[in-house]
Amino acid sequence: MKRADEELILEFQNGHEDAFEELFRKYKTPVFNFVMRLLRNRADAEDVVAEVFMKLYTHKHSYKPQARFSTWLFTVARNTSISRARVRNRFSSLWVSHGQSDGYEEIPVPDSSPLPPEHLIGRETAVVLQEAVEKLPDDQKEALILREYHNFKYDDIAAIMGCSLENVKILIYRARVRLRQDLPSILMEGQND
Amino acid sequence: MTDHENMRILISAYIDEELPETERQAVEDHLVACEECQRFYRDIRKISSSLKNLNSEPLSPDQEQNIINQIKAVRSREGQGMRRFEHYFPYSAMSTLIICMLVFTVSLRVYMKRNVQTALRDAQEESVPQVAMPPMNAARGRMEEGSALREKANLAVPPSEVPSSQNRLAAGPLEPGEKRKAVMEAVSGPVLGGEVSGEGFLFKGQPPKEETPLGIMKQNEVPVRKDRELREQESLPVFYGESAHKTESWALERLEGKADSRLGDRPMETGALTGHYAADESRVRSLPAAKVMMASPAASMSLTPAIRGDTANGRAGEIYNYTDKGLVPMRPGFMIVEPPKDRDEAYPYYGRIKEENTEEYDRVYENEFLSVLDNPLSTFSIDVDTASYANVRRYLNAGQMPPKDAVRIEEMVNYFVYDYPQPDGDEPFSLVTETAACPWNPAHHLALIGMKAKELSGEEMPASNLVFLIDVSGSMNRPEKLPLLKSALAVMVGRLRPEERISIVTYAGQAGLMLDSTPGYEKERILRAIDRLEAGGSTAGEQGIQLAYRIARQNFIPQGNNRVILATDGDFNVGISSDGDLTRLIEEKRGEGIFLTVLGFGTGNYKDSKMEKLADKGNGNYYYIDTLQEARKVLVSELGSMLFPVAKDVKIQVEFNPSTVQAYRLIGYENRALAKEDFNDDTKDAGELGAGHTVTAFYEIVPAGSSEDHRKTDPLQYMETVVGDSGDLMTVKLRYKELQHDTSRLITRAVPASQAGEPEEVSDNFRFGAAVVEFGLLLRDSAFKGQSSYLDVLQRAKASLEADAWGYRQEFIRLVEKAAVLDSAY
Repeated sequence: MKRADEELILEFQNGHEDAFEELFRKYKTPVFNFVMRLLRNRADAEDVVAEVFMKLYTHKHSYKPQARFSTWLFTVARNTSISRARVRNRFSSLWVSHGQSDGYEEIPVPDSSPLPPEHLIGRETAVVLQEAVEKLPDDQKEALILREYHNFKYDDIAAIMGCSLENVKILIYRARVRLRQDLPSILMEGQND
Repeated sequence: MTDHENMRILISAYIDEELPETERQAVEDHLVACEECQRFYRDIRKISSSLKNLNSEPLSPDQEQNIINQIKAVRSREGQGMRRFEHYFPYSAMSTLIICMLVFTVSLRVYMKRNVQTALRDAQEESVPQVAMPPMNAARGRMEEGSALREKANLAVPPSEVPSSQNRLAAGPLEPGEKRKAVMEAVSGPVLGGEVSGEGFLFKGQPPKEETPLGIMKQNEVPVRKDRELREQESLPVFYGESAHKTESWALERLEGKADSRLGDRPMETGALTGHYAADESRVRSLPAAKVMMASPAASMSLTPAIRGDTANGRAGEIYNYTDKGLVPMRPGFMIVEPPKDRDEAYPYYGRIKEENTEEYDRVYENEFLSVLDNPLSTFSIDVDTASYANVRRYLNAGQMPPKDAVRIEEMVNYFVYDYPQPDGDEPFSLVTETAACPWNPAHHLALIGMKAKELSGEEMPASNLVFLIDVSGSMNRPEKLPLLKSALAVMVGRLRPEERISIVTYAGQAGLMLDSTPGYEKERILRAIDRLEAGGSTAGEQGIQLAYRIARQNFIPQGNNRVILATDGDFNVGISSDGDLTRLIEEKRGEGIFLTVLGFGTGNYKDSKMEKLADKGNGNYYYIDTLQEARKVLVSELGSMLFPVAKDVKIQVEFNPSTVQAYRLIGYENRALAKEDFNDDTKDAGELGAGHTVTAFYEIVPAGSSEDHRKTDPLQYMETVVGDSGDLMTVKLRYKELQHDTSRLITRAVPASQAGEPEEVSDNFRFGAAVVEFGLLLRDSAFKGQSSYLDVLQRAKASLEADAWGYRQEFIRLVEKAAVLDSAY
């Protein structure tokens, strides 16, 4: 039986470092993906992830048992991302975005094995979907990401984003309507209504 | 908001199961009635499930390691500092943890002393904690903490008590006592007790102890300063030149892979370490975990080791001492301070920052034309490695010309299978020669020497005892590394015979036995073990190798193929052993009949030269694996050859006839050259030949009577050279040992000069092999490329596609086409 995150963080607060290790293992990828989707920049996202876990490590006592751990951690991640985005915007003139290659300087190895066609379609869909999500307004996007990628309940999302439950509901609804409009007709049944 | 929209908001929430019972019922009722909303519902569900199915992207292992290191660094500081701070916190308004470092030098001793004094005074005067990092030229940052500690110890520490040389600091306690301890802490910060060697995942070992051993400097508290502050810091002691400083911080940013993103808080490797030499030789090796390698203190200045870090993020690198034992991570009490005897020789990496890309290739000095009168004998060990070709392919597929030294022509030639005849009788291999006009230099001839080892049928093949030694460090966690290996291994397991045995040893910090020697009929068990392989942690190759050899030894199959197969991306953080020790181990085990094969994976961090050397020493092959196809070729298709040697220590010696040959040039095999005496010396190690394998070598020959002059020496005065009257072109001599024997056997074959044919009449083998050579010459931009052209290569390769069952030659043609385009772009 795996221990709940809340137990782990309490253990960690009591000085058991392997509990931290377990939390890190469990959350490194979700947090990274969340931040990456918010910031859309790999290098920034990597920095933020490092910062988030550093905060978890050094400010472990600021977690209070009333909250769910994941909600708390994502709130930290969100706030850190927002600060980063602000810094980033301030210096945006210094930035030349290299798209995906940001933060990665090695030779890309193209996949030489040809993919079966159905694979290709699946891949294209994913790309189209991701692009559509990226075009959403920030708040809608964030709510949708938390819901769809990270499977948070509405009240958790409200806690993370610091808004009302009703607000979350509407943000997610708007995001979905918009996606439905933006996505090519082949994927959707119809958007004529 | 219309009712319709209200309903859809509910539908959206309904999909997320966020509705109370009553509203849920209402939605369901509505959906039954309203077709449009049904469509909406289905679309949203579809979007929702597609989004849920999108893959998440893993954090790069390097970055993960980086985070772990940062946390380790903080942890080490906390180990002492934070715990004490927790007591102080209620009373203190300290908002920032300030770290610092003190650098001791002999030459800067006076200077430093003054700064320490200043710093201590500053610290005493400052009642309000500083938020910003003070300049780093003195140990000021830590002083605040230091002063607190000093108060606690109720000691006034005169700066003169500060140990003044690294030697004394590192050598151990000088005069034990509270006083000195307080000094230590005041100047160097709390001493960490944590794991610093990078082994394991995060927190192996005990939490830091309260008591600190004296006289030990540890690196993690090495302080850190910010780049910009450093630059603004006019009064910075001249530790190193401005240019070196720039190079270093630049390289570090590159190495972090995100120079731009750091802006406010760049990591700065503290540079106090390297003294004057740093100016021209600074370089930091970019290990995946962004470790920083440093040299031990130079002769003239004994300095604290190197450090890198970032206050804000608590970033800190590990520190490596470059010693005569190789790279040694700094551990408590393990700091090597004796000055090197000869800096250039003993510390080739002394304090250098190395470029971001750490792929290493040995410089290849091409063989030159040698006059037959000066050098009638040409001797080399056969080479059946193929790694260079795969590596070249990787570059070309990525749209880059390969670095010249990554192009080893003999490995490219031997990547391909040639259609040589099967050996007759008892001989383990056949020998083929062919001569024709040289395609890229019509005045020359080109001679092919090919051999093919006997193919064994399944029953004849000796049973294998294979120990896979797999690097599962964080850097292997990439699609083209460990997952690729796992897929190929799974296929290979399918072909294992029941009597064969396989074991899996992993190394990542601690060596682990993933799968004890398991017979081939227990495929399920093997597959499960393969499935469990997971990358994470750092690399320490040596212990893993020892364990792997032990397992191989325990399950030794007499007359069998006993082999350790090392799969790695090349980053041996050779914890306790140097290259030399590793080599000796491999050679020793080779003597016991356990061979080593190396499979290289991945990009960017790939030590080509080292891996090849290791495989050489282990009597083994070395393969570079970049695609699943290649992994299968090596592990599955070549199982029959590479894993079943039919002869070992195979050497070739060619004697040229001066009456027909004026000069010759061996193409490739630069790193396989042997002295002519080595040919008959059975103690000299050489290449191994696997069942069914072919080996091909080419000589470019200047025929006698040519106007070219390749003699490098004057004719001898007292000895007359009498050239015998023979129509031979050359005599090819081959020595090999049967697997179980230590004495070699000799095969001799004279090649008549009349054999030289016209380019049109040559065999497919010759034509294709020559095309590969020519391609290699072009890629290397060789001095001997003559009239080589991509067009010729293509033309001849396309004319030799008959023996291309696997499509490798087709692929070669595509690569040539790519290279032609890339090369012309330069």
